[in-house]
Amino acid sequence: MGEFFNKIGELFSTPAYIDSLLHGFLLTLQISYFALLIGVVLGTVIALVETARKSKWMVVPKFICRVYVTIIRGTPMALQLFIMFFVIFAIKRFPSIITAILAFGLNSAAYTAEVIRSGILSVDKGQTEAGLALGLRPSTIFMRIVAPQAIKNMVPALGNEIITVIKETAIVSMVGMYDLNMAAKDIGSGQNMASYIVPMVVAGVFYLATIYLIIFIVKRIEKNLRKSDLRVEK
Amino acid sequence: MENNTDLVIKNLHKSFGKNKVLNGINFELKEGERVVVLGPSGSGKSTFLRCINWMEEPTAGEIYLDGTLVTEKNVRKVRRNIGMVFQHFNLINNLTVMENLTLAPVKLKVMKRAAAEKRAMELLRHIGLTSKANAYPASLSGGQKQRVAIIRAMMMSPEVLLFDEPTSALDPESIGDVLSLIRELAEQGMTIIIVTHEMNFAKEIATRIVFIDKGKIIEEGTPREFFEKPKTPRVREFLEKVL
Repeated sequence: MGEFFNKIGELFSTPAYIDSLLHGFLLTLQISYFALLIGVVLGTVIALVETARKSKWMVVPKFICRVYVTIIRGTPMALQLFIMFFVIFAIKRFPSIITAILAFGLNSAAYTAEVIRSGILSVDKGQTEAGLALGLRPSTIFMRIVAPQAIKNMVPALGNEIITVIKETAIVSMVGMYDLNMAAKDIGSGQNMASYIVPMVVAGVFYLATIYLIIFIVKRIEKNLRKSDLRVEK
Repeated sequence: MENNTDLVIKNLHKSFGKNKVLNGINFELKEGERVVVLGPSGSGKSTFLRCINWMEEPTAGEIYLDGTLVTEKNVRKVRRNIGMVFQHFNLINNLTVMENLTLAPVKLKVMKRAAAEKRAMELLRHIGLTSKANAYPASLSGGQKQRVAIIRAMMMSPEVLLFDEPTSALDPESIGDVLSLIRELAEQGMTIIIVTHEMNFAKEIATRIVFIDKGKIIEEGTPREFFEKPKTPRVREFLEKVL
């Protein structure tokens, strides 16, 4: 055990190691952040298309969205990452971080779309009918009635998607990118077998701390949005 | 009160896929009338009511409100003049009682916000729920929710009020509260169409009873005619079962 703590001391007193870890951590955060941003924007668009009223203008967009979501959800993330790196963006000197962000963003969009879609569908039909019967515009009904209730319903699942993406970015080490996961492996290598333990535990703590923070924030948001469920006054 | 015809329905049909629910309904409603729609379950009573303000788009037939044909284009305008009260209240969960009452009149520029809030408070005072103005629907009992839903419809000063089984989801005590509020509106001369299973209430409040079976109006008349001297065997059979 003493050996373990000595190793931790060594890791945190070697500037090169700290530098590697922080670099890796920063890359993990960058990929996750921008991928989630793409995911939410594109996912919202897909969900809106999928929940829009049926009409002849929507047939093709609805079909495209369904096919897209099905393909993304039906194939491994690692394969999608490989296709992005070795087929679509196999251009020399194309920044790998952008390729990775796109790979994870396009993947996350499909899952986020499903979360948003089910959030919208979970709002009771009677809520929309109340608005219609009063003569409100569909856009008003969506913005004031359906969307707020849908968002409340989908926050837990969206939190889950954020967590999934942050952890899943660890597979970028498979295409040689230097993220937090890769940094841990790098620091540990070239020494003996036991030396892997410390950097990997430290990397794990980094992931865990980040995700714990996300869980904490999501819980706070959830609690705030649940106000109207409670028997309290505004 | 002048005897204008508020609502004319001609040859109304409604199908859900292959399921024909309404098979040619002809109906007229004059200002100040209170029509109770009766019929066995699955007869199309609720669908009939919901077609009037296009909550369900009719498959065929015409609906005129004050002489204007209701179409896809003007339906939102028409709906402002037709209030609707639902079986399950349908108060908007993410809005407070006050916001439920003022959202439509303010958004549709029927009233300024201050005027709408003042009117809402008056109506809330009338039903004894001023203390709930800033509460969310989740904190209201069923009867309270339905009474708020009724005054929400009244906020738009509609020409006609539609009630779709307004007491079917309520406990007996709340039913009394809701019925007396509807009774009060009736006494004030509100034009009403109500689908209900409350026979005694129907007898008491209706100026006319309409009986629907298999998507058609098969009998109509004053409550006295209807309950005491039903013309068709189908109505006689129905009344034997429910009375």
